[in-house]
Amino acid sequence: MAFNLRDKGAELWERSPKPARVAIASSAMIFAICLPFLGGTFLNTPISSYEAVLVYPVGLFVLMALGLNIVVGKSGLLDLGYVAFFAIGAYTMAILGTTTSLNFWEILPIGIALAMLSGVILGLPTLRLRGDYLAIVTLGFGEIVRIVALNTMAIGGPNGIANIPTPPKFLSLEYTLQNQKAYYWTVLLLIFLVIWMIRRLSSRRPGRAWESIRQDEDVADLMGVRTLKYKIWAFAIGAAIGGAGGVVFAAKSMFVAPEMFTLNTSILILACVVFGGMGNIWGVITGAVILAYLPERIRFISDARLLIFGLVLVIMMNVRADGILPRKKREKSLQS
Amino acid sequence: MKKVLELKGVTMQFGGVTALNDVNLHVNEGEILALIGPNGAGKTTVFNVVTGVYKVTKGDIVFNGEISVVGKKRWQITEAGIARTFQNVRLFGEMTALENVITAGDVRSKSGFVGSLFGLPRSRREEKANREKAMELLKFMGIDHVAHKLGKNLPYGDQRRLEIARALGTEPKLLLLDEPAAGFNPSEKVALAETIKKIRDAGYTILLIEHDMSLIMGISDRVVVLDFGSKIADDSPQVVQNDARVIEAYLGVPADAS
Repeated sequence: MAFNLRDKGAELWERSPKPARVAIASSAMIFAICLPFLGGTFLNTPISSYEAVLVYPVGLFVLMALGLNIVVGKSGLLDLGYVAFFAIGAYTMAILGTTTSLNFWEILPIGIALAMLSGVILGLPTLRLRGDYLAIVTLGFGEIVRIVALNTMAIGGPNGIANIPTPPKFLSLEYTLQNQKAYYWTVLLLIFLVIWMIRRLSSRRPGRAWESIRQDEDVADLMGVRTLKYKIWAFAIGAAIGGAGGVVFAAKSMFVAPEMFTLNTSILILACVVFGGMGNIWGVITGAVILAYLPERIRFISDARLLIFGLVLVIMMNVRADGILPRKKREKSLQS
Repeated sequence: MKKVLELKGVTMQFGGVTALNDVNLHVNEGEILALIGPNGAGKTTVFNVVTGVYKVTKGDIVFNGEISVVGKKRWQITEAGIARTFQNVRLFGEMTALENVITAGDVRSKSGFVGSLFGLPRSRREEKANREKAMELLKFMGIDHVAHKLGKNLPYGDQRRLEIARALGTEPKLLLLDEPAAGFNPSEKVALAETIKKIRDAGYTILLIEHDMSLIMGISDRVVVLDFGSKIADDSPQVVQNDARVIEAYLGVPADAS
């Protein structure tokens, strides 16, 4: 498989003059912003509301896949309990939204901070482990969070928390069940922010540190990279993004319950990352859009979703082990 | 003369195996010290205890006359000023040559996450300076023409040279080279000897593990010989070459000696 779609794209990108790049980037952004208006076209989903599908699963899966990609794709840390951070964000919104007078915009930073904090607390002891051991511990963490929620009656136990308030009106945007566009644009804004953040970090010191850790942690250590610090940062940033997604999710669905945060979700998000192309944000976005949207669009897939996902992943791993848009393999030409 | 590195009675045991047995050695500032010995003598173990890969069982290792490196984290030791290469090339294969060196240079940077995220002036300055410094080092090692090639795609000789450039990228006082000439042909070895001298003349102190005797005799100021984890000789190359115990360690005892 010598053909690398990502490199072809990057080559084309580098050859384009600046105005062309601006034009491409802004038209892509405008297309993403306009997506909710395309409900009448072939994009429409037969079972659920098209606009709701754009928020969850599509938008939130893209957001979370981008977050998990920092941990798994960039730093090479296999995290099987990513849904825990999503759950922490969602429960923060649910608890604070129903018991205090704080609104969505005030809870969002709290949810992000709490998810981040739990990422650091989980990371400090466990990031000394490597490979399979880390995967097992994170898997356990994901389950612990769910089971604690299930057994804590103060936060609803198995019944979860209902009547979570929707976000207040923002400018002239109303967040209601009928108007899912507002939620979609909120998620989209978060996605744009995360893409900007990842691109910044990737080309600078933190990105190099993560990359070196993924490739050879021992050598990175010996070359002066503070591996534990950067691994915890990766975990914390990934967790923060998952937490942000959770807050939006709770405000959107107005109801949270432990069964929404099972291992399946963690695996599904991981599948988006692997399927799209680990370590490459465009690949990850593509993977998440495909895996989240197709089951909603093509009805028979959603009935046998996991079976077909499994099959597709097995085939992918044989045919294109690096994902649809793999990470950078190309070399720059001599002059830079 | 100032001692850059001093091993004081260092013993390193793995279970019942004693890899280093009460080793005392020191490296003077500005010299090239060669560490030789038969296979399994404990040469690479010396590198590993100095750089923090292993923690010594007994003894102390003092860097720069004041800092004990025992119990320090690996990055702290690198930050203090010790850098190394590896016996089997271990580059970051999916980074370009330039990125490999820049990554090592990051240990000297002050800016971190916030600076990188928001492109703060100090972060920008450091990124630029680090990049320029890395390019200089690639030039110094004569591999600037492959700066944008991925580490894994470089020819073997360039990979070895890049490893040295990467180690220099951390701005060390002491450079540890683990068999830098392994797999080189004679003319490449001559060129490497010149490079190592050039590095020494640029102000670095070098501790070198090597098997190639002509290389060692040509460039080292002093030679330390290890055998079964113990030091058996420590002198100028000429003296060590004729030392009876060294010859014995390498060639074995003559049949009529007993």
